[in-house]
Amino acid sequence: MSEQIISRPPLPKKPFNPTPVWLSAWLALMWVIVFDLELSFETLLYGVQDIFEYLSRYSTPNFEDLSRYIELLAQTLATALWGSALAFVVAVVLAPFAARNLTPNPFAYRVARELLNFMRAMPDLLLALIFVAALGLGPLPGALALGVHTAGFLGKFFAESFERVDGGVYEALSATGASRMQVVMYAGWPSIQREALGYVLYIFDRNVRMASVLGLVGAGGIGLALHDTLRMFNYDQSAALIIVILVTILIIDYLSTWLRGKLN
Amino acid sequence: MSSSKLCWPTPNGLPALMPTVVLAVSILLLVMSASSVELNLVRLFNAIPRMFDFAGNLFVTPDWEYLPTLGTNMLQTMEMTFLATSIALVISLPLGVMAAKNASPHPAIFHATRNLLTMMRALPELVWALVFVSAVGLGPLPGIMALSFVTIGFMGKFFAESIEVVDSRQVEGVVAHGASWLQLRTFAHFPQAFPDFVGTVMYILDHNLRAAAILGLVGAGGIGFDLVMAMRMFDYGRLLPIAISIYVVVTLLDRASDKFRRRLI
Amino acid sequence: MAQIDIKNVCKRYPNGFEALKGVSVEIAAGSFTVILGPSGAGKSTLLRTINGLETPTGGTIQISGQLVTQATLREVRSQVGMVFQHFNLVDRLSVMTNVLTGRLSHRSWLGSLLYLFRREDIDLAHDALIRVGLTDKAWNRADKLSGGQQQRVGIARALAQQPRVILADEPVASLDPVTSEEIMGLLREICTRDGITVVVNLHQVELAKRFADRVIGLNDGLVVYDGPASGLDRATLSKIYNRNGDQVDEQLETMLAYA
Repeated sequence: MSEQIISRPPLPKKPFNPTPVWLSAWLALMWVIVFDLELSFETLLYGVQDIFEYLSRYSTPNFEDLSRYIELLAQTLATALWGSALAFVVAVVLAPFAARNLTPNPFAYRVARELLNFMRAMPDLLLALIFVAALGLGPLPGALALGVHTAGFLGKFFAESFERVDGGVYEALSATGASRMQVVMYAGWPSIQREALGYVLYIFDRNVRMASVLGLVGAGGIGLALHDTLRMFNYDQSAALIIVILVTILIIDYLSTWLRGKLN
Repeated sequence: MSSSKLCWPTPNGLPALMPTVVLAVSILLLVMSASSVELNLVRLFNAIPRMFDFAGNLFVTPDWEYLPTLGTNMLQTMEMTFLATSIALVISLPLGVMAAKNASPHPAIFHATRNLLTMMRALPELVWALVFVSAVGLGPLPGIMALSFVTIGFMGKFFAESIEVVDSRQVEGVVAHGASWLQLRTFAHFPQAFPDFVGTVMYILDHNLRAAAILGLVGAGGIGFDLVMAMRMFDYGRLLPIAISIYVVVTLLDRASDKFRRRLI
Repeated sequence: MAQIDIKNVCKRYPNGFEALKGVSVEIAAGSFTVILGPSGAGKSTLLRTINGLETPTGGTIQISGQLVTQATLREVRSQVGMVFQHFNLVDRLSVMTNVLTGRLSHRSWLGSLLYLFRREDIDLAHDALIRVGLTDKAWNRADKLSGGQQQRVGIARALAQQPRVILADEPVASLDPVTSEEIMGLLREICTRDGITVVVNLHQVELAKRFADRVIGLNDGLVVYDGPASGLDRATLSKIYNRNGDQVDEQLETMLAYA
């Protein structure tokens, strides 16, 4: 049997795979953070043990005050509704300027974009604090805060939708002598209407969640009640409140998912 | 002979049904809830000068001594965000598989996981933070727990949805070669859903940074506590630096994730 | 009826590419002109300078004596209709509303914001739909129509403007040969019956021969032929379609196929 060395043409050099590097860096970073924040596994473990005991305190919800809760809930929903409406109006005005293919000039584009970014960056809680300082306690400052903050999101979503529309359609309308506003109204909004409605529903959903906690800073609604009951260690009533909040958010969530499903 | 009668571009000249209904319902809801929200134009107008006052007061000399603490707390906020999102990521991957109709091991598991995830994301982070602070005490730990918890709810849902829109033919291809249950999910489902996963993680990271900035309100770590204190005590020397640093960090993350997303697509 | 005066128009893009290198043409009122040329010759650019969708870097355009400038854009455009290769209709709107967008330059700010139109506008749109033979589809969504039908809606939109000029940028490039004939026939009929000046970009030489009064051959940003359609013999065609001075006699048919 002759010894035959079968030689294969060599494979090209294997490209460097950075994945293990990224993975190790990520794990290292997590470790550093745990160290820096002085997180102790012990505390967590004790905490988890405690949590079960702690959570059992919520096991007997007390619905005595249900009618008041429902009232507060209505207030929370109203806050979310008006906040979303405000966000919608502001977004509708700013979005055409923040879309590269609809904006009249680069300066307007930059200003609109930065304005929307600014509104998004400010946490709604901070805005709520400011508005409470200016308007006093109640749901109105909460609605304003939600409106301003989510206008930033909605405006950006709308603008990005506008930018995805085929530029030729905008062009064709300009070519008939239409003004910029007419191009936006007849080629812009009709083209994105489905997406836009989906975004509005998403923002409303989000606002209902936020509205329920804005009460913690005095901006009305059910959050305030929860804060009070928790502060006074009134677990039964807190449990009832949490259940009310939970059920409401679930219903709104379900409705908005259903509506968005129907849109598609 | 020309009539200047105006009408809408529909067969009967009246406005289209859907837009009209939507508009009418919206206006109706708004009007009905106006009293609940204590809408009061007078109050709003009176507040305007106070807003200007506030804006004017913001521009005072910053509290220089506070800045190092600000840095530490902002860093803490970012660390909380990162850690919580990472933990949620690890847990959401298997949960996402279980909550995807085409990848779940059993329909019962599918429904159970779906409902679990819905529950987990139902309450806002702040509510959970309140609960966890009562349980484990103040500090970043309850904040991270709350953030992770809610994030798993959202991430799990988004992951599951990304898996469900995977191309079934590619999956068939791998099945036909005798892949095991786990191999199938690793080599057929995961690679396809990966770009969507990345997008989801970026979006959630962005959201969590803003959420983390607030959790301090209830003592769950981060810059939130400083912020609320400064507001309550009208400590303008701290307020502006805090607001600016939040704005800068959030914007930086925004730009970074945009660039990252563009690199991957 | 409008006369189009194109005087020494040049177009240079910021990256240095010169699409038009000095084109001077006078298009008579009520005429049917076809612009032929290979891809990248500048046909589209030239057409789009006429209604201001491109701004020339040199030279002027006048329509019936009115100069096309930034200030006069809307006024000029309301008199100039345009038909596009990809139709460029608003998909979600009905055929009727699409045609009505041709009337927008005559509508008030408030009225158009509310999607309100005058009776006269609706009648004009209706007439335009009759002209193109699509009245039965008036209330259908624009994207539910076939390619040929959508292009006819595009033509109706242009007609609704009551224009003096209609520009057509490769109107049949996305259509099958039979439908292309119909569309070109429609454009020709509009020109003859209404006396509207029509300028069409084409790359199908056969269609140019069949429908044009006058053909302008463009190559590499310059006019290389300007005369009647009958003058399109082999020599002229090779002049129009040659690239970088290649000898093309034998491969002319293939060249034309890829032009």
